[in-house]
Amino acid sequence: MSPRSATPRSTILSLTVSGLTPVLVLVAVFVTFRGHNAPGGGFAGGLIVGIVLVLRYLTDGTEAVRRLPVDPIVVIGAGLLLAVATGAVPLLFGSSFLESAIWKVNLPLIGEVKIVSSALFDLGVFTLVAGVVAAILVALAEADNEARRGETGDPEDGGPLDADPLDDDDRAEADR
Amino acid sequence: MLILLIVYAAVAAVCLIGHRRLDRVAFPLSTVPHIVTFAWLISVAPSVLDGDPMVASIDWVGQLGLSIDLRLDGFGLLMGLLVTGVGALVTVYSSGYFSESYERARIAGLLGVFAAAMLGLVWSDGLLTLFVFWELTSVASFLLIGTDDRSATARAAALRALLVTGIGGLSLLAGLVLLGIAGGTTTISGLLAADPSGGVVPAALVLVLVGTATKSAQFPFQFWLPGAMAAPTPVSAYLHSATMVKAGIVVVARLAPTFADVAVWRPIIVVCGLGSVLLGGVRSMRQQDAKLALAHGTVSQLGLIMILVGLGTPATTYAGVAVLLAHALFKASWFLAVGAVDHATGTRDLRRIRGVRRFGVLATAVVLAAASMAAIPPTFGFVTKEGALEALIEGGAGWPGTLALVGVVLGSLLTVAYTIRLALGVLGDGTIAADAIDPEHLHRPGPVLVGPPALLALLGLAAGLAAGPVGAWLARVAASLDPASGGRELYLWHGFTPALGLSAFALIGGGALWWSTRAATATTDAPRSLSTIAYDRGYEGVLSGSRRVTGVTQSGSLPLYLGIVLLSVAAAAGAALATHAGSFDWSAVPLANSPLEVVACGATALSALAVAVARQRFAAALALGGSGYLLALVFLLQGAPDLAVTQFLVETVTIAVYLLVLARLPQRFSAAPDWAPLGVRIAVSVVIGLSVAGFALQASTARTDPSVAEEYIARSEPEAGGRNVVNVIIVDFRGFDTMGEITVLAIAGAGVINLVAAARREQRRKQLLDGTDVKDLSGRAPEVWR
Repeated sequence: MSPRSATPRSTILSLTVSGLTPVLVLVAVFVTFRGHNAPGGGFAGGLIVGIVLVLRYLTDGTEAVRRLPVDPIVVIGAGLLLAVATGAVPLLFGSSFLESAIWKVNLPLIGEVKIVSSALFDLGVFTLVAGVVAAILVALAEADNEARRGETGDPEDGGPLDADPLDDDDRAEADR
Repeated sequence: MLILLIVYAAVAAVCLIGHRRLDRVAFPLSTVPHIVTFAWLISVAPSVLDGDPMVASIDWVGQLGLSIDLRLDGFGLLMGLLVTGVGALVTVYSSGYFSESYERARIAGLLGVFAAAMLGLVWSDGLLTLFVFWELTSVASFLLIGTDDRSATARAAALRALLVTGIGGLSLLAGLVLLGIAGGTTTISGLLAADPSGGVVPAALVLVLVGTATKSAQFPFQFWLPGAMAAPTPVSAYLHSATMVKAGIVVVARLAPTFADVAVWRPIIVVCGLGSVLLGGVRSMRQQDAKLALAHGTVSQLGLIMILVGLGTPATTYAGVAVLLAHALFKASWFLAVGAVDHATGTRDLRRIRGVRRFGVLATAVVLAAASMAAIPPTFGFVTKEGALEALIEGGAGWPGTLALVGVVLGSLLTVAYTIRLALGVLGDGTIAADAIDPEHLHRPGPVLVGPPALLALLGLAAGLAAGPVGAWLARVAASLDPASGGRELYLWHGFTPALGLSAFALIGGGALWWSTRAATATTDAPRSLSTIAYDRGYEGVLSGSRRVTGVTQSGSLPLYLGIVLLSVAAAAGAALATHAGSFDWSAVPLANSPLEVVACGATALSALAVAVARQRFAAALALGGSGYLLALVFLLQGAPDLAVTQFLVETVTIAVYLLVLARLPQRFSAAPDWAPLGVRIAVSVVIGLSVAGFALQASTARTDPSVAEEYIARSEPEAGGRNVVNVIIVDFRGFDTMGEITVLAIAGAGVINLVAAARREQRRKQLLDGTDVKDLSGRAPEVWR
């Protein structure tokens, strides 16, 4: 095992990104809910989470997506389910599909908060979009690992992948 | 009504989910909804039969005029009683029939799903509701035929049944939709009231009849039904004799009184019906498996019912309803009895069965059911067959009616012959086969297996003896199909009439036919039918044809795909432009609102140009990103911050993913294929660019109606509680669109995941095959990307 394997390509970048991750996710959620009254929305929010994932992928390599706590397909399904459920619930109350309900709640300290049921729908979109980006990254990571595995058997011809900046990191991974 | 359907579905779901744990109680449990619904139907019967149908409607997608419409009228009541009554008996029977080696909870659950779908089908008034339940029964049937999923025959039979009835279902859907449009309605009752004619109506009716013929196993689609006998016997008794195969008849019965006079209707009905009557009868004579003989007999009987309800005169409609009831009673009884015989002797082979006579009750049930099937007095089968002949003699349906009469008499003759053969085969001891069953080693069937067929057979006898009251009751049922059918009667004895003569002729002729062919039919096995061969050829043809088409169209060359897609777009846009070119108003084209816009657009275009001329993939990707970001700026300048934000984020993710993928491709673009030299590529680009730009210009000046934007803006805050109208449109006003889009996105995501999985599988397969590693598969770009 080479000593490089444990070292990310840029420690500073990696640390910065991992430090920023919670903030960026918070921003994504903020953008999602803000979308109701100002530019933003679930699609944009989901994309921001996607960008966070891409950043982690760039700094930490395939390890970043392999550490994901849930399978992307589950995330995608959950998002779709949430959106469909939000749409279907009004049916139970005799309203039509996707009809919005608006509740106004008085929270202590914060004051009156308006909750609109379509925010849940947007949250579904948010989850789904983030899941799709994660799925693409997982696919890339898988392909990377497969390529690495294929190559270790044939060290003479590195092929076009020698140009890959991620190579070192990943090859070390495959060596393990 | 709806609550009952939900109860069914709930019990079925419990059975399906509970699975192993509920194995023992599944059948008793699933008997409950049958009994409850049966009791409820009895309780509402008086008012329903007085011409006061019960209606339930639930709005589904109001904007599309989609709703779940249920309507319980007299005919729905009769069918409901059959579905629940036979259903209850079948589930009781099943609890004794299925041993522990079956997945009993699964079968019980599927039977419950089927029963709910079938009730929905016979009660549905909405054209689309009907279709949905129709397909649900097909799916349930598919799963139940394939109960023995380790048997290739059963799987093939299940698939065949699904394909035939599924294609028929699509035909039915097309027909119903056309009829609905022609009649300007979404319900069956509305359609019958509107009585549309001319135009597409004949074509629509042909489509409907194709659908009903597939479902009710009518010639030339009858071949799936014998195959469906791969299902366990209780399933066959329930789905493939008493209920599901009546679905086509239900639809025909509802439409016939109104549409039978359309020129195409009666000839199709009579040809299909007679084809089934005769073919089913002849083929039944040649089967050695008792269940298969019954299945072909069912095809024949269904043909008779189809003719009767299809001819659509008041008399035949009434007779058809009566025969339908009689057939359900004796055929379900027959199937269940054969199942019991199978249980007792371990075989259904007519040449091997021996010793059934010692089980008195079972043998009596077989005799009674046979008598009813062969229309021997005083059974209900005889009474209704007489009624059918009377109705056909009465006429009123033109030459198809006369033809039908001749065919039905011949069919009755065949029925008598195959019934005698079948009854003697099951009950007789004069066996031929060397490996016949030893009568000393029989397994006595319990009361659970004997009771249901005996009860059904007894009902067939009782209904025959009480022909008067039963006939009067059925007249009230038939009145819901055609008011003119009301007030008719059935007789056990009505003097020496032509009908009686024909019945006697059929009995004597049938007996003679059996006597003269008994030796010939004792040993032969039936050949495959022409329809089956046609189906198999067609199935193979579709498979190999699609392989060939795929080979031609999916050449694997991305430039070719792209070129075809782009040129198609250009052709469509160009055609639209060409037709409107004269009316284009150049003065309405806005040039630019600000100098900054000119700069942003120009930079976007330059960046795009850079993509085209770049030699390195990396540079091209960056340039592409640049043009994307600049486009976001254009959006922003146009006052669309939401669009700009989304465009910006999408561009970021896309470029990042691009670069990650590019890392595994050669640095430079590979040479273009020979068939696409530079000139061709430039020409294609210019054509598509011009047509899209022209289309955009044309579209932006082609508004004829006022914009919906004003209305959306006004409604945004009060109705959806949001001030960002763009987002409100996405999640609320046009939420349905968004739902569709995210579904597409989800499918794309799943596709990506599956592609990776498939590539890995392929790689593993190759590694297994040649024992070497396969770097090429993922290490280098696949052929497609070059």
